[in-house]
This record gives sequence, C-alpha cells and structure tokens, in this order.
Amino acid sequence: MSSLDAALGRALTTPGISGAALLDAVTGLSYAELGDVSASQDSCEIAEIARIRLTRAGAAGELENVIVTTSTQHLVTIQLPRQGDPLLLCATVDRERTNLTWALRELNRHADELLA
Amino acid sequence: MTEGTKEPLPDSRNVPALLVALQTQQRSCTVVVTGTPGGAIHVRDGLVVAMETPGAPGVEGLLLRSGRIGEEAWSAVRAADTTHEHLAAELVHRGLVGAGELEVISLSALFDAAFALSLAVPDSWEVTDPVPTLYRNAGVTPERLLGEVSRRVNLLAGEPGSVAALARTRLRTASTARIPGIVGRLPARHQDVLATTDGRRTARDIAFTLGRGLFSVMIDLRLLLDRGLVRPHTPSTEQRPSTAPRIAPPAAAPSALDSTSLPRRLPGRHSAPAHRPHD
Repeated sequence: MSSLDAALGRALTTPGISGAALLDAVTGLSYAELGDVSASQDSCEIAEIARIRLTRAGAAGELENVIVTTSTQHLVTIQLPRQGDPLLLCATVDRERTNLTWALRELNRHADELLA
Repeated sequence: MTEGTKEPLPDSRNVPALLVALQTQQRSCTVVVTGTPGGAIHVRDGLVVAMETPGAPGVEGLLLRSGRIGEEAWSAVRAADTTHEHLAAELVHRGLVGAGELEVISLSALFDAAFALSLAVPDSWEVTDPVPTLYRNAGVTPERLLGEVSRRVNLLAGEPGSVAALARTRLRTASTARIPGIVGRLPARHQDVLATTDGRRTARDIAFTLGRGLFSVMIDLRLLLDRGLVRPHTPSTEQRPSTAPRIAPPAAAPSALDSTSLPRRLPGRHSAPAHRPHD
C-alpha cells in the first residue's frame, strides 16, 4: 500500500470525515483518494479561483483553506505548502457527525504526516 | 530477453494500444520511444510506474533543480546503489525526502512526461527488458494515464494544435508587466515564471530552470498570456537575413543612369574625380 493511501486512511478514522483526496494545487492531478471524494476535482478549481482573486484583491499571504458548506456537508480544502507547487488536502465532512473546528484540527494534524 | 519467454505482443498501432496490451499480459518491461522528444516508459506488472523524456523534468530533475536535495547527497545515493534499483528506498532511508513526498514527485513526473510525450507523434518504439529507474508509486493504468493526458490537453487547448505550439513558443515579458504594482499582485509562482521568461526560454526550458512540471508551467503561462503579461517572442530577423537586394530595384530609371555615367579613373590621376553623381 502506498504511503499516501495509508496516511489518508488514518485521516478517515476521524469520525465524520467520510472521504479525503490529495491533489496537486496547480495541475489538479489526484495523488491519492479514499472514500467519498466526488467533489475533490471541483475543490481544486474553487481553491484556484480563491487564490487568484484574493491576491488580485490585494490580500496578503498565501491561501490556507477553503470551506464550502452545504446543508449536510462541509467540503474542506486545505492547502499544504511545500517546496515546489503546493498540494490540496480535500475532505468531505459530515455535518451531522462532527463540527468544523474539530474536523479542521484533525485534518491539519494528519496533513503533517502525509508527506513525511 | 523477455520477448522470447512471453507470448508475443500484438501489433500495436500506437503507444497507448501497446500499453493496454502490456497491461493485459501484466508485463514488466521498458518501452523505448524514439522521436522528438522521445523517451522511455517503464512498465511493472502491466502498470506504468515511470516515464522519462527530455521534454519534461524527471524525478531527478524535480528533486535537484528545486533544491530539495543537494548534488552531493544525490551522488552519494547513486554510489550506494550502483544497480539503481533501490534509489527510491535509499533516498527515503537516508531521510533526504519523505516517503509521501517522493510518491507525489514520482507521480507528478510520470504524468508530466506522459503529457510531454503526447505533444508529438513518436517515430517508433521498442519493448525492451526492464531498465532500473527511480520511482515510488503503485503504478498507473494506461486508461488513467490517457484520461489525465487528454484532460490536460483540453484544459490548455484553445484550438487544435495550440498546446504543442505553446510548448514550443519562446516567450518574453510584455511591456505591461513592467507597470508598477501589476506583478506584485500575482501569486508567487506566477512571479517566478515571469522572472524566467526572457524571450529565449520555451515552456520546457522554464520548467527545467524552476524544477517544476511542464504542464504546471504551461498552465501558468496560459494565464499570463491571457492577462497580457507575456507574449510570444518573434525576432525580426526570423524571415531571412538582412542582406542587400541582389537585383537592382525596378524603380531605378535606366535613362537617368545613362546620362551621368560612372566616374572613370584616368591614367596618372590618383585622386577621386571631383564630381560624383550621388553626392
């Protein structure tokens, strides 16, 4: 099993996180995906729009995350800075089973392990 | 040779068909593709694990040019594994790069090389024994590889053929990019691409310079082109060298020349004639 799949598998043990994918923030290439990841490709486009528009509007600093909330889910996209083009960790979070703060905390914890 | 022991491959019309045939037979081999740019496709148990081509930076280029690992450390790893079969394991074992990070780099180089190879029709290809190469991934099916390549081409294409043309074009910074405040509002990676766009480099050259993928550089260049910050570099001397015309211009009236004939040097006189018709 690949080390990326294993790391995503650990992230999915968090209650309420039903799917996760690791994407390239520039090319949109999916490096690994597990569980419900139907929205991951769109997340990449949304993050790119947010990144470009925010810088154009004069926002300082780099994009950290984008959260899209529907009546049942949060689609959380966390940008993982690294040497070279950044990566995106996209996760589908069930609103019924967890809250956003907890999910973000857990995802950030697992994000650190992803590239180790 | 692997060829003799395995069932023969059916005649493949193109490289994708060959890869599908190799997947069906679960072969481990290296497909050497000749052409411009040409390259090598490494197949293990029917799945594509690595591709190398001069058209895009490989794993080694991405690791070294981006400054992730130093030349000395890389030489030490290569010296430790002279067969080059366990380079990936050695890199991770020495703590030079994380296992997940190397997997990301390995996959991004694979898809990038596939994209670069797809921009030109190969001359020929040959299936050889597996050649050791640096990779760390579980392998990709030919279907996924082709699907991703066509997604990339569609993403960049304005009209047919424009993607290959964009990859070949030398680009230079447009004068609008020198207006204060414009460049500062671009994301850092666009600023890096802009800084390396000098009129001599193509998208491929920029990718090698920055240690990034060809496709990601082309995405950035397409955006910079759309915003008018870079433009194709067309040198004025491209049509033909600037030489004097070899025939007399037709506008010159022969009658006028006849009336004032060329000055004739007279014997015994070394100086030029006082009167020159063109003075």
